[in-house]
Amino acid sequence: MYSKQTVLRNLTGLHARPASEFVACAKTFESKVTVKRLDIPDAAEANAKSIIKILAQGLSVNTPIEISADGPDEEAAVEKLVELVDSKFGED
Amino acid sequence: MRILKGNPVSRGIALAKVYVYKAFKADVHESYFEAGQEAARYKQFTDALAVAEEELNTIVTSLSADSPEKAKIFTAHIEILNDEEVAEEVKDMITSSRAMPDYAVDFVFSEFAMLLEKAKDPLIAARAADLRDVRNRVLRILKGEKEQNLSSLREKVVVVAHDLLPSDTATLDRAHVMGIVTEVGGATSHTAIIARSYKIPAVLGVPSATEIMKNGEPVVLDALKGLVMLEPERETIHEYEAKLVQFLEDEKQTAEYLDRIPLVASGERFYVGLNIGTTEPDEGFKYVDFVGLFRTEFLYMESEHMPTEDEQFAAYRKMLANAMGNPVTLRTLDIGGDKTLRYMTLPKEENPFLGNRALRLCLDMPELFKTQLRAALRASAFGEMQIMFPMVGTIDDIRAGNAAVEEVKAELRAEGIPFDEKINVGIMIEIPSIAMIADLAAKETDFASVGTNDLTQYLHAVDRMNPKITNYYQSSSPAMFRILGRIFKEYNKAGKPVSVCGELAGEPLAAIVLYGLGLRKFSMNASNIAHVKRTLSLFTQDETEEIAEKVMMLETQEDVNNYLKAEVAKREQKAKSATVAKK
Repeated sequence: MYSKQTVLRNLTGLHARPASEFVACAKTFESKVTVKRLDIPDAAEANAKSIIKILAQGLSVNTPIEISADGPDEEAAVEKLVELVDSKFGED
Repeated sequence: MRILKGNPVSRGIALAKVYVYKAFKADVHESYFEAGQEAARYKQFTDALAVAEEELNTIVTSLSADSPEKAKIFTAHIEILNDEEVAEEVKDMITSSRAMPDYAVDFVFSEFAMLLEKAKDPLIAARAADLRDVRNRVLRILKGEKEQNLSSLREKVVVVAHDLLPSDTATLDRAHVMGIVTEVGGATSHTAIIARSYKIPAVLGVPSATEIMKNGEPVVLDALKGLVMLEPERETIHEYEAKLVQFLEDEKQTAEYLDRIPLVASGERFYVGLNIGTTEPDEGFKYVDFVGLFRTEFLYMESEHMPTEDEQFAAYRKMLANAMGNPVTLRTLDIGGDKTLRYMTLPKEENPFLGNRALRLCLDMPELFKTQLRAALRASAFGEMQIMFPMVGTIDDIRAGNAAVEEVKAELRAEGIPFDEKINVGIMIEIPSIAMIADLAAKETDFASVGTNDLTQYLHAVDRMNPKITNYYQSSSPAMFRILGRIFKEYNKAGKPVSVCGELAGEPLAAIVLYGLGLRKFSMNASNIAHVKRTLSLFTQDETEEIAEKVMMLETQEDVNNYLKAEVAKREQKAKSATVAKK
């Protein structure tokens, strides 16, 4: 199990195209990947490979999140997804 | 000729043949299979997914070149199709619970759709429609039925359907779809939004349209008035052919007025408001100064149970968040014996429009009323809002309504729950008895808004639901303008805001008279905004006042309309020759 925290900085948040890119990226890894928002106590973990679960979280700009992975490529998965989030999905 | 009525959500006129579009109807029942078939049943599901993806890929490919925006809808559908959690849960229901694949698909997709609908962001909630769309696609494939769509039609048609889904509208053959009629849907439904963006005339909410209307029959669609004319006579066809030409010419000129600041020709400002009946985003918010009527009935009509305080609070907040900063007038529940709610039967009445309805019903059921008032007041902490009571006939009604508000305010204060302490509370004026004492009503209210539809009904003693007597329903009669003038005068004298949120405010001809009688706040459906702005821009304040004086002395509604049309035509002619002269 490997986890890392970051904050969504792109204006769209994890909606629309960024959500799609995020899920598509998560799916390239074998590990089980989850996202949890940190601004609500006891928030549920959402399967990062489920577009619907990710959308249903309503993760908007400035939401702190934790990305976790469990499996053979857990570290690579988390690092890659954090990098994607920090890149602001190409938004300015 | 037979005339059906509905809600005109996208303006226009169409003359074409009926095309009844019966989309696949999922008829799924809870059912299970015998042990031992797990693998085969699961394969049915995965096979269906594969076929669905193939269909979607074909659509995406065909759309990518010309309409990449539309292609995106289907790319999103492929994403949903490949959703890991959805697939896992369906698999689990099939292999562990031995649920039939169609039942499992229906159950899981519906669950996820509901999950999305709960999202605070309206854009995410709207994605639920896509999920249902994908569900229907998979269910249809499981049933072995072919794909039916509106993408290639042979002739010009008016599409008649129960409802249209995103996949139906995205591939719509716009060259051949001249009009849309559906059995369900309001002004902010998916179909309405698409129809307006494509500029396809649409009349929605026409009950049993798919059963009454027959394929290939000629039909005339008047999506200005919300009329669907079956078996039209030759004269009707000629009349509407001329109207269509006129309409298209007019639209071109009017569109330019949509985002203009509303001014009359002499430079005075008037204010345009929007009427809404859902919490969804509406393009109209951009072009208005306020929301003059937020109907709350949908919350009660669409729910399976009496909407709770928290549900209403969430809905009102969502509406305020979507309203783009426009101040909103929330109208408390306006139903009566003519409407049924799934969870509550109201006694049938001989005359529901004269019965225990709206505020009367609310005062009769204090718990229901207080729940709504609490939710509204709590929401008032999150945006500019005011509360309005419908069906007020006497000062007693006003006092009883106000007392209920005060009671709820005291409760909230005691509980330390924030709300807007200075919230305005006002009334709808739609019963002649309160119109006649508008001076007294103005003293006990913060504002008033005139519901001209009901006021016409009660002033003229015409049941507006009875199609036999529509010609008796005269909202532009001299009598109406006399009583309206009285209301505006008294409220203006008292320095209290007065608006019109009935249909009359959105009728350009009537709007001239209303302005002349002293009205400055006109609240209407989005489709009328540009028209009212344009027509009023032709008249100076003095001219409207003269016209209003004259109208009140005319004898019949026909005289009024002919006179107003002539006044508009005169000015349009002048404006036209002025532009020609400039060139």
